Amino acid sequence: MLNTLLSAFQEDFFLRALLALFLSGISAACLGSYIVLRRMSFISTAMTHSILPGVVLAVLLGFSAYWGALIAALLTAAGIAWISSRKGSSEDSAIGVMLSVMFALGIAFMGLSHSWRDFTGLLFGSIVSVSTEDIGVILGTTLIVLFCLRLVHKELELASFDEEYAHLLGARPGLLRSVLLILIALAAVASVRLVGALLTTALFIIPSTTGALIGKNLKEVMFWSVLCACGGGTLGLIISYTFQGIPAGAAIVLGCAIPYFIVRIKNA
Amino acid sequence: MSPPKSHLRKLFSEAFNNLFPAVPYAAPETNESGDWAVEVKNLAVHIKSQNSAVFSGVSFEIPVHCRTALIGPNGSGKSTLLKTLAGLIPQSAGEIKLFGSMPRIGRSRIAYLAQSPQLNPDFPLQLKRLVQMGTYAHHGWFEECHHADEKVASALKLLELEDLVDRSVHNLSGGQLQRGLLARAAVQGAEILLLDEPYAALDTKSREIVENFLFHKDNSFTVIMATHETADSQKFDRVLEIRDGSLKTIHACAGHKNHHA
Repeated sequence: MLNTLLSAFQEDFFLRALLALFLSGISAACLGSYIVLRRMSFISTAMTHSILPGVVLAVLLGFSAYWGALIAALLTAAGIAWISSRKGSSEDSAIGVMLSVMFALGIAFMGLSHSWRDFTGLLFGSIVSVSTEDIGVILGTTLIVLFCLRLVHKELELASFDEEYAHLLGARPGLLRSVLLILIALAAVASVRLVGALLTTALFIIPSTTGALIGKNLKEVMFWSVLCACGGGTLGLIISYTFQGIPAGAAIVLGCAIPYFIVRIKNA
Repeated sequence: MSPPKSHLRKLFSEAFNNLFPAVPYAAPETNESGDWAVEVKNLAVHIKSQNSAVFSGVSFEIPVHCRTALIGPNGSGKSTLLKTLAGLIPQSAGEIKLFGSMPRIGRSRIAYLAQSPQLNPDFPLQLKRLVQMGTYAHHGWFEECHHADEKVASALKLLELEDLVDRSVHNLSGGQLQRGLLARAAVQGAEILLLDEPYAALDTKSREIVENFLFHKDNSFTVIMATHETADSQKFDRVLEIRDGSLKTIHACAGHKNHHA
């Protein structure tokens, strides 16, 4: 067992996967803290699922999958904003409509390609095959996300806790929400390679839900979220390496869920 | 000597703030104050969904440092008037000036406290951080609030909350939370306090502390407080009554006689 573990850390692909996981885990957990505390889990699920048609179309047309995913995510955010601003449509139903439409579009495009196999990596992730170029994209995204979050940290904290007071101070809660959605889209696009379109949302929500159970303030929630994302993800990666049959994406999500259930049972 | 990390952060923060000197959302304030804190002329407010005027032709002036009670039956428009003064509800007609400028969001000289503040119950926040939030409009990008610690400590002391600084705001009583929100307004540097039924959730002790804070001669706030409790009207310099869509002055501050009785 120990030998298997040691040999994992000598494999280049494993170390690359670990680095990608840590970088993605940091941005997903920091954004996830806001998602969970602001009760935006549903919208983040919509954003992560909606990138499917963008990626499929980009692959079919020979463009970069990242750009395709980003455009699809931004279109989804704009669609949600537009539908929910119409009379008689709540944001909740707007998210439901956009999520289903975008995901169905993705499946339709996959059908057009006549080759579903090419897209299994997109649906379920393939962290062990991340390239140096992928790590570059993930690193860039993480740096952008951390910079933006640091820049508007006070304002986002204020708007998340007391929206009316943020509005009175002029901090534009609506604009901050849009910034948050764009950052979620960016981070989701970068993470989709690791755990797949179906499970990316888990990387945002599960570690942060654990963090929210432990932390007494936003900084503590973020700290514990990052720790649970990186720690739980590493555990999942090791399990996937040890028991070869388990896909890495699923194992990472299950690894992240372990701290959640420990804390949940302890707090019960 | 400060540790290298904070030194680096300070350098970075200074460089960024030199590039972008003002926090873009804070509305620029002139230092103009004059005699009047609030001047309202022929104000009318319509609520679209109700398709009717809450009030119209309302005119009054409130001098600087005057403590004003706004009384009237339920649904008479007290909260609407306070929200309009705060810039949260647009006026349909008329003119409002607070320290000589129109009401708009982003003015740190004005603070509004709702009767039931809509705070996110899932967001973990300690009382000290809540009070620190009052300083946000005065900070540049990347700046933390530590250099306002003295101001925060003094506001917490004034409202007798020093022992509760680390307590979660969700574990505070209604009265303690209301005092915390007033401390936040004080730290914000607000000079006009627009208060909607602030006594509603207060026990006797909290009420005494809040009254000391609002009416103490050393605190130079201009207060406009919506209240049901007419028995307290003697404590106020001026009492305005809003009823059936119009407003009348019951009694005025010394030296400022009824202008629009």
